[in-house]
Amino acid sequence: MMRAIQALIVAIVLRVVHAALVELRVLDSRVAKEFERMPDGLSYAIATGYQGPTLYVKWEGGKLKRLAALDAPTCSLRIKSMPLSFQLFTGQMGLSQAYARHAFTMGGEVADVMRLARLVNLVEAYLFPKVMTRRIMTDVPETEVCFLRAYARIAVGFLTCKYNLSK
Amino acid sequence: MVPYFEFQNAVKLLCGELSLERIAIELELMGASKPLMLSDAVLAKIGTLETVVKAMAAEGVQPAATFTDIPVDSSLAVVDKIAAYYREQGCDSIVAVGGGSVIDTAKGVRLVLSQNKEDILSLSGLDNLVRGKHVPFIVVPTTAGTGSECTGVAVIRNDANGVKMEFLSPYVEPDAAVIDPRMTAGLPPKATATTGMDALVHAIEACTCQQANPLSTAYGTAAIRAIAENVEEATRNGSNKKARFAMALASTMAGISFSNSMVGAVHAIGHALGGVCHVPHAVAMTILLPHVMRYNLSHCGAAYAELLPWLVGVDAAMATPADKRAEAAIDAVVALGRSLNEICGIPLTLKDAGVSTEAFAKVAEVAVNDGALIVNPRAADEAQVIEILNAAF
Repeated sequence: MMRAIQALIVAIVLRVVHAALVELRVLDSRVAKEFERMPDGLSYAIATGYQGPTLYVKWEGGKLKRLAALDAPTCSLRIKSMPLSFQLFTGQMGLSQAYARHAFTMGGEVADVMRLARLVNLVEAYLFPKVMTRRIMTDVPETEVCFLRAYARIAVGFLTCKYNLSK
Repeated sequence: MVPYFEFQNAVKLLCGELSLERIAIELELMGASKPLMLSDAVLAKIGTLETVVKAMAAEGVQPAATFTDIPVDSSLAVVDKIAAYYREQGCDSIVAVGGGSVIDTAKGVRLVLSQNKEDILSLSGLDNLVRGKHVPFIVVPTTAGTGSECTGVAVIRNDANGVKMEFLSPYVEPDAAVIDPRMTAGLPPKATATTGMDALVHAIEACTCQQANPLSTAYGTAAIRAIAENVEEATRNGSNKKARFAMALASTMAGISFSNSMVGAVHAIGHALGGVCHVPHAVAMTILLPHVMRYNLSHCGAAYAELLPWLVGVDAAMATPADKRAEAAIDAVVALGRSLNEICGIPLTLKDAGVSTEAFAKVAEVAVNDGALIVNPRAADEAQVIEILNAAF
């Protein structure tokens, strides 16, 4: 039961992370710069625990598309268990801490994980309060705009089905 | 302390006198008899490789093939070429004789063969590979610095983008490493000094990064003490067997340490300097260490303070006020570098190493994508990396 609840929350957070990346690309210059430098076609597959929720995203044609599946992702991360996934996606453990705790396996180039780590740190800086982020990051990035703007754009995006699966 | 850690070292260490003569039996015990010898042109020329081959031959094992065309900064293409050569020659094992480049290349070859692939690029990642076929693999380090004989990582240059790629898997670890004092006896003073400092960087970063754990720190601190006590003597008097052996062991211990807790910004920036500006790894480590320590000081002062007794001895550390020990640890590293500079003229600035400030932006761009940065005690963006580079110039 606990695992099912954790999986449900992780699934929701993965959707929010994708939405936040889409919106912060507009709101935050550092996120925009990361996407500017991202090679077209770069893709990430994130899997959580055994048969847990997944997130497949691909940077293509200037858009971060969410996909139902990816045959050959550029970078694939597999969080080793659902409790670890829950910690990672609910602000209890940062990505660098996850690395330090051997919480995931990775296929692809380490450079792509570093790119993702920077993006996730920025997303967390907006989505989680500082009291949480201070515990999971060595240095919390300053937000360039009020976090409420990010939340508002994400809410509108979900209401308008902006983050639905791409083909 | 990190709330969870892993520790692995499956490498059998053959340490001390007449170790080379035991390679043959180790191969035999692994069911191998046709080793591919890997080394570089310099070691082949000065006779180091021949020393190993003779020791093996005396105990009944002849190389099936030899490849010595491994450059200082080896590449993915070289790995693939050697893997194909191994198959062509019908070899059944690998014996690598050399420094970091030779050993990391050999690790890459072993990975390609054991995973039954044609190219190593398809194997990049972190802990993502299954065990694969066992390819008996012995390394004989000829420097006392990289610790690569005991690490679960191979760092290999990708010529396509000039980036040093990391292949992180326990299956790159050799079956055995041979620490024979004869192998470092002829190492020139500059190489002794810089590779010794490379080992010091491994140990210091391993003890202070986010992944540090009690076991890795035990190895790391022991390495720091051995280096602090022996690197000057080994540099000044290369024929001092005791100092040489202490340095070789220190390098191995530092390798075990960082293989189980990662390194940090010194390596991230150093890899980038190697990839972009072709600064030799050990030279980059020597130059960057004190500057990165100063950068990290605000975030890991307590950890640096704990290293002081290992760097300067217990009495000197205890005579230092507690709130000054972290800075004293950095001062000790600076003093060690200066001393080695006086002994043999190793470069202490990027300027002396021939780096141009025009390259800093590219170095910083590459450095922030290096995996070593992820567990550094303090985050660093491109601007902060450039600050460190400017300080080291």
